[in-house]
Amino acid sequence: MQQPHSRFSVLSNSSLSSADLLSPTGSSRFSLPSAPSINATLGQTRQRPNIYDRNLNKTRSSEVSASAFAFLFSEIVQYTQKRVSGINDLERRLNILGYRVGMRVLELMTWRAESSSKAPKREIRFLPALMSIHTQVWRAVFGRPADAIEKSVENEDEYMIIDNDPLPERHISVPRDMSQLSCSSFTAGIVEAVLDGLGFPARVTAHNTPTQQYPSRTTILIKLEKSVLEREEIVK
Amino acid sequence: MSHHLFLLSPSDTPIYSLTHYSSKPAQSTSYPLASNLPTWSTSAFAGTLTALSGASSVTQSHHVPGGGVKMGGGQDRHVVQMIANASLDNIEDVMRRENAMYLKSVDKFNEWTVSAFVTPGNVKFVLLHDQAKNDEGIRAFFHDVWELYVKTMLNPFHTAHTVIRSAAFDARVRASAKKNL
Repeated sequence: MQQPHSRFSVLSNSSLSSADLLSPTGSSRFSLPSAPSINATLGQTRQRPNIYDRNLNKTRSSEVSASAFAFLFSEIVQYTQKRVSGINDLERRLNILGYRVGMRVLELMTWRAESSSKAPKREIRFLPALMSIHTQVWRAVFGRPADAIEKSVENEDEYMIIDNDPLPERHISVPRDMSQLSCSSFTAGIVEAVLDGLGFPARVTAHNTPTQQYPSRTTILIKLEKSVLEREEIVK
Repeated sequence: MSHHLFLLSPSDTPIYSLTHYSSKPAQSTSYPLASNLPTWSTSAFAGTLTALSGASSVTQSHHVPGGGVKMGGGQDRHVVQMIANASLDNIEDVMRRENAMYLKSVDKFNEWTVSAFVTPGNVKFVLLHDQAKNDEGIRAFFHDVWELYVKTMLNPFHTAHTVIRSAAFDARVRASAKKNL
């Protein structure tokens, strides 16, 4: 009776210590709320503040270091590349990951800008929305505005945002046999999520357009859905 | 006096709902269901019939204020949901034209007024209420819910279509409703 009991306690001790090794700073570094179930009593005491106790503006001045981001992004690309069958697939997956970031960026960015105002506003016209992506979204995500906005001459439903030195690609050199790949598909996903959220559904892709001066210059190509143009025509 | 809040995902599926009974003095006493039924009704089911017949003339009663039959204080859950759903068309009309997030009194149905709040990510907060004069309170309430929603959204496991089951979220929305409504 005693024997299995003590072995059990040894086991549980070792598993506990390995858990400690995995998270050296303890569980407090995870930002998860303490996963309350539906049936949990509301008045229960909590050991650490959950996500609803935090101030959304507190992080305004504290930024993530570029090297931490570069490291994480390199892992994202490697992880994704192992699980896809081609460049198109890889770009599509990066786009989806970016989309998940973009919808949060949109909500949080607007909250930070508008929550102090009595009557918060949304963008309802396309061009101002595009301008706010060029400046505000870029500033929120990359710390500086993008370099240019262009409108396609041939197709009236195409717009381009140009970044001369995109942050995600700063430490990436694409092998020659994959030269079509643009890791800024991640950024394209962010743009697509923001446009989608504001009610301008579009297909957004990233393309390398290097110049002599800026070898990693990237164009984010926005191809709007027909419904958006028709609506803009009506409200004009 | 009661309030009904619905949070709708961008594809208009409900992700959270709340019914709140205000502790503040009611402007009009709410009658039990039976006393509001027309005389010909004999069963409790007739209340639903009355509500539904009112629903078919929703556009009519929209233009004729005070018109239509007053029904059982509108306490029936399905009637409330129907009114909220019916107001979505109006909300989408208005949100295309106006750039404010808080849309006050976008729709009216009998004694109910529908106020809405649209976040930049196209999530709609729909509030059914029967108070005409509490604009400031409703605005503050929506503002609190917006902040709580943004925090929920920042959870990486939450997507725009995930139903919100967090007890902490629920407790905070209730606290704000108690304060503002």
